Amino acid sequence: MALLSEVKKDYGKLKNYINGEWVDSTSGKYIDIENPTTGEIIGQVPMSSADETKAAIEAAHEAWWAWRETPPITRARVFFKLKEIMEQHFENIARIMVQEQGKTIDEARGEARRTIENVETAAGVPTMMMGYNLEDGGAEGIDEDAVISPLGVFGAVCPFNFPAMIPYWFWPYAVATGNTYIIKPSSQVPVTQNYLTKLVEQAGFPPGVLNIVNGSHEVSDTMMEHPKVKGISFVGSTPIAKYIYKHSAENGKRVQAQGGAKNSLVVMPDAVLDRTISNMLASTYGCAGQRCLAGSNLIAIGDVYEPFVKSFVERSKKIKVGYGLDESVNMGPVVSAKAKKKILEYIDGAEKEGAKVLLDGRKIKVPGYEKGHFVGPTVLDNVTPDMKIANEEVFGPVVSVMKMDSMDDALDFIHASPFGNAASIYTQNGKWARDFRYRCQVGNVGINVGLVAAMAYFPFAGYKDSFFGDLHGQGQDAIKFFTDRKVVITRWF
Amino acid sequence: MVECDFPECNTFGSAIRFALELEKGAAGVYEDLAKEPKAASAAETFKALAASHKKRGDLLEFTRQQKLNEMILEPIQDIRREDYLIDTRTPMGLDVKGAAKFAAQIEAQSAKFYLDAARVAKNLMAEAARVMDKLGKESLANKAKLEAL
Repeated sequence: MALLSEVKKDYGKLKNYINGEWVDSTSGKYIDIENPTTGEIIGQVPMSSADETKAAIEAAHEAWWAWRETPPITRARVFFKLKEIMEQHFENIARIMVQEQGKTIDEARGEARRTIENVETAAGVPTMMMGYNLEDGGAEGIDEDAVISPLGVFGAVCPFNFPAMIPYWFWPYAVATGNTYIIKPSSQVPVTQNYLTKLVEQAGFPPGVLNIVNGSHEVSDTMMEHPKVKGISFVGSTPIAKYIYKHSAENGKRVQAQGGAKNSLVVMPDAVLDRTISNMLASTYGCAGQRCLAGSNLIAIGDVYEPFVKSFVERSKKIKVGYGLDESVNMGPVVSAKAKKKILEYIDGAEKEGAKVLLDGRKIKVPGYEKGHFVGPTVLDNVTPDMKIANEEVFGPVVSVMKMDSMDDALDFIHASPFGNAASIYTQNGKWARDFRYRCQVGNVGINVGLVAAMAYFPFAGYKDSFFGDLHGQGQDAIKFFTDRKVVITRWF
Repeated sequence: MVECDFPECNTFGSAIRFALELEKGAAGVYEDLAKEPKAASAAETFKALAASHKKRGDLLEFTRQQKLNEMILEPIQDIRREDYLIDTRTPMGLDVKGAAKFAAQIEAQSAKFYLDAARVAKNLMAEAARVMDKLGKESLANKAKLEAL
């Protein structure tokens, strides 16, 4: 079918957004932004310097007090306005994501929806940041109040897999509660935030309240080390999450750092196989497997193994791979040549370790997109718990199938992993489902849902090496992360 | 006549696209029929139906933007585009009966698509399935109205 049109062919040299102005980077260093489907260069992103980052921090700090004094309901109104503008630009936001990240248009529209949902949720700030008090809480005639207050400047370092949504897990809550903010978008997918920030500008946020500084670790390190930055949010791989957590904490920051994952989907013998597999396909191949919530290990319990594997492979073969601007495409490319190489190495390695490749996506060709970084759906059988492929995050459309005797065995395997982001069970048995949700030590549990993606009003993060910090992204956790509690004890003579 | 591009219906987006093409095609047919001199006595009915199909297109676009949930974006099975194609090449010189008969076929085909899509998609598209069901029933009502002309 006909492709949907791209918003632009070339986005040019992106600028930073500092103190309400779009400014060219002074670093002189730019890297190309590639469309991972076509291989075309669609723009250049600056690698901004420490000085440019400091300028953004100073601007955010300067803007903070006036914004903090703006009543919560007035701050909320700007978010309502932003929501309205984002709805008008919904389709463009989605299409830019397809173009720079490679996901399908359905996935991109789904992400745009979730991005807006975070704005909608943050607009509830007058209720969400209310404090509490107790008359005579101190003693007779002495009242005690806990007031919820913003802290100042916060920043986020963002990954490539959700160019729109992930920064919106954080900044709307930070700014709605009266803080100011700096986003460092992923340098692989900076165009979406660039576009969204133009909408933020239209909504009427005062200069300096939200700033965008493009770049790499120089920007992140400067934010982590600067005394005027109160906290850092991060999403990415576990080694970097550990670094961000440690380095930010050393510099006295609040920090929430989300890392990698290795998520298991457990199929019990009574699972409704057809529906289970449909759902698993979305979990495993959605966003070409580049979700921290993607199902990766498929564990079949007992006799369901054979019919499950047969059917899963058959259905996987029908996944249509191509450019996400074709609405009938089920899966796009992975984000880069580097990502593809790493995924292929994992498949090769698994084969060498004894896995059987039931469906091989390594040599997929997509006519018309020969320069695209495609990996087809790949199903590996005979995977054992000790293999590298069963334990490390592949971040691609590759699934490992394992047979186990019981749910206990599956839980033991899940708990042996250093990660704890998500796990799901497919069953019609309430007792099994209840046991699974009760015992499973991960941050997100699915019951007949393979993509356990918390909505905006619920907290999102994993356990163990999937998350470093305590307060999660989104919802009430975000409100707490971006505020502090001040106790006021009052006595009148 | 309206040029339509009917896609496969294997994703949420392509199913909505198929529906949008159906609506565009149907609206085009009704606009043609409203201009047909031999069917002039039904021109107002055809104009109203053309407007209704355009409005249905708006509803579908709203649905695509507001009703999808990326958590359950599962591939769609068992909807074959070939089963629901409509002919948008409006014949010339039809009288009221002929025009109504031609349009009723389109409404019947649309109803079949929407009701099948609603049934198949009930567990996948959730809220969108409800919209499909509503449009399917509306097409059946339109068909009955045309057959009474």
